[in-house]
Amino acid sequence: MMTYIVFILSVIFVIGFVGFSSKPSPIYGGLVLIVSGGVGCGIIMNFGGSFLGLMVFLIYLGGMLVVFGYTTAMATEQYPEVWVSNATVMGVFLLGLLMEVMLVLYVLKSEEVGVVFKFSSVGDWAIYDIGNSGVFSEEIMGVAALYRYGAWVVVVTGWSLLVGVLVILEVTRGD
Amino acid sequence: MNPLILTIILMTVFLGTMIVMASSHWLMIWIGFEMNLLAIIPILMKKYNPRAMEASTKYFLTQATASMLLMMAIIINLMHSGQWTITKVFNPTASIIMTLALAMKLGLTPFHFWVPEVTQGISLTSGLILLTWQKLAPMSILYQISPSINLNILLTMAVLSILVGGWGGLNQTQLRKIMAYSSIAHMGWMTAILVYNPTLTMLNMLIYIMMTLTMFMLFIHSSSTTTLSLSHTWNKAPLITTLILITLLSMGGLPPLSGFMPKWMIIQELTKNSSIILPTLMAIMALLNLYFYTRLTYSTSLTMFPSTNNMKMKWQFETKQITLLPPLIIASSLLLPLTPMLSILD
Repeated sequence: MMTYIVFILSVIFVIGFVGFSSKPSPIYGGLVLIVSGGVGCGIIMNFGGSFLGLMVFLIYLGGMLVVFGYTTAMATEQYPEVWVSNATVMGVFLLGLLMEVMLVLYVLKSEEVGVVFKFSSVGDWAIYDIGNSGVFSEEIMGVAALYRYGAWVVVVTGWSLLVGVLVILEVTRGD
Repeated sequence: MNPLILTIILMTVFLGTMIVMASSHWLMIWIGFEMNLLAIIPILMKKYNPRAMEASTKYFLTQATASMLLMMAIIINLMHSGQWTITKVFNPTASIIMTLALAMKLGLTPFHFWVPEVTQGISLTSGLILLTWQKLAPMSILYQISPSINLNILLTMAVLSILVGGWGGLNQTQLRKIMAYSSIAHMGWMTAILVYNPTLTMLNMLIYIMMTLTMFMLFIHSSSTTTLSLSHTWNKAPLITTLILITLLSMGGLPPLSGFMPKWMIIQELTKNSSIILPTLMAIMALLNLYFYTRLTYSTSLTMFPSTNNMKMKWQFETKQITLLPPLIIASSLLLPLTPMLSILD
C-alpha cells in the first residue's frame, strides 16, 4: 500500500472536492475542505515537501479556514443542508463519485497513470535546478526561487489579495 | 465610493488588462484576467439596487466560468507542449477550449446572453467601461493565438454574433441594451477576420472603441437611458442631437464616415481569401444593425418626437463637461480618408 499512497491520497483529495462542490451548507463544505487540506498536505509530504505541508496546515487550515468557519457560523441557518437533504445535492455528489470511481478503475486497469498525469517533453517539473546538492532540500530552494525569480508574481498576487479585501469591503458596504 | 478606494480599484482594472496584454507566461495572463474581474465588480455595483447586484453577479459568474475554461485549456496545452510561453497553442483541444473561453469573455454567440442583461443593470459609466475596456484583454489573447484557432468554430460564432446582434437589437428601446447588442455584432465582425488578417481585428477594435466611447459620452451628457429621453435632447442641447446622428450612422458602417473603414477592409480581406458568400451575408446582416441605429436617429435628430408640452420648454441648467468629446467625434466620423495609412501597419 505504501507504494500507492500518493494515488490513494489523491483519490481521497478528489472525493473531498466532489463533496464540497455538490454544495451542501458551507459548514459542511468547510469540514470537507479540512479533510482535503490535510490529505493534500500528505501528498506534498510524500514528495519531500514537509515545509509546504506545514504551511498548508498552519496558514490555510489554521488561518483562513478558521476565519471562514467563524463567519459561516455567524451567518448559518437553522437547518443547514447536508448531502442527503435534497435530491440535487445528493445527485451531484453521487455523480461526482461515480465519475471518480470510473476514472480510478480506468487508471488501475490500464496500468498507466498517463491519462491524469503526463507531461510530454519536459521530464521533470523543475526548471530552477539546485544541481543535486545533498545539503539543501528542493522545496526550500523552490520557496527561495519564488522570492527571487518570481518576485513579480509575488507582487502581483500580493496586490490582488489587497484589492480582493478592498473589493469585498466595498461590495458588502451596501450603503 | 471613497476616492482612494476608487483610484485603487480603477488602477487594478487597468493593471489587470495590462498584465494580460504584456505577459508571456500563461499563468500570469490568467492572473491578469482574474484581477481585472475582481476589481471591476465594485465598479459595476456602484448603485446599490438589486438590478445592479444581479448584473454584477451574472457578470462574475460568466467571466469566472470563462477563466476556468481558460485555465483548463492552459493546462492541456502545458501537458502536450511542456512549456508555458504564449505562442501557438499546439493541441487542437486546448485551442478550441481557449477559443470558447475567450468568446465567453467577449460575449460572442452562443455566449452572448449576459451582455444585454449586465449592461442594462448598471449605470452608464460602468457600462462604458464594460463594453470598451473589458474587450481589450480577451481580444489581445485571441490576437496572439490566432494562428492556431479552429476556423470553423470562430467563423460560426462570428456570423451568429452578427445575426444575434442585429436581430436582438431590433425591438429595444433601452439605450444600454441597444449598445450591448451593437457590441455583440461588432465583436462578431472583429472575430470573423481574426484568422485571415489579425491587424484588421485591431483596427476594428480601435474604431469600435472610439465610436462606443462617443456614444456613451453623449448618452451620459444628456443623462438618457431610453429612446424617449434621448428624443428630448433637441431641447436640451441641439448640438448633441447632430453628433448623435453622425456617430450612429458611423456605427452603422456608412461611408463616408469612419465606421465604414473596418467593414470595408474586412470584406475586402475576406474576398481576397476566396470567400464570397460569407462577407455578403455579413454585410446584409449589418443592415439590421443599421436599421435600429437609424430608428434612433429618426426619433432623436430627424424629427421632433411627440412629447408633452412641458418637455418642450426645459430649464437650461449648467451643462455637464464631457471629457474629450471633440477628438472623439472627429475620430469616430472623419477617419475614412486615412485608410491608405493602413499600409504602415504590420
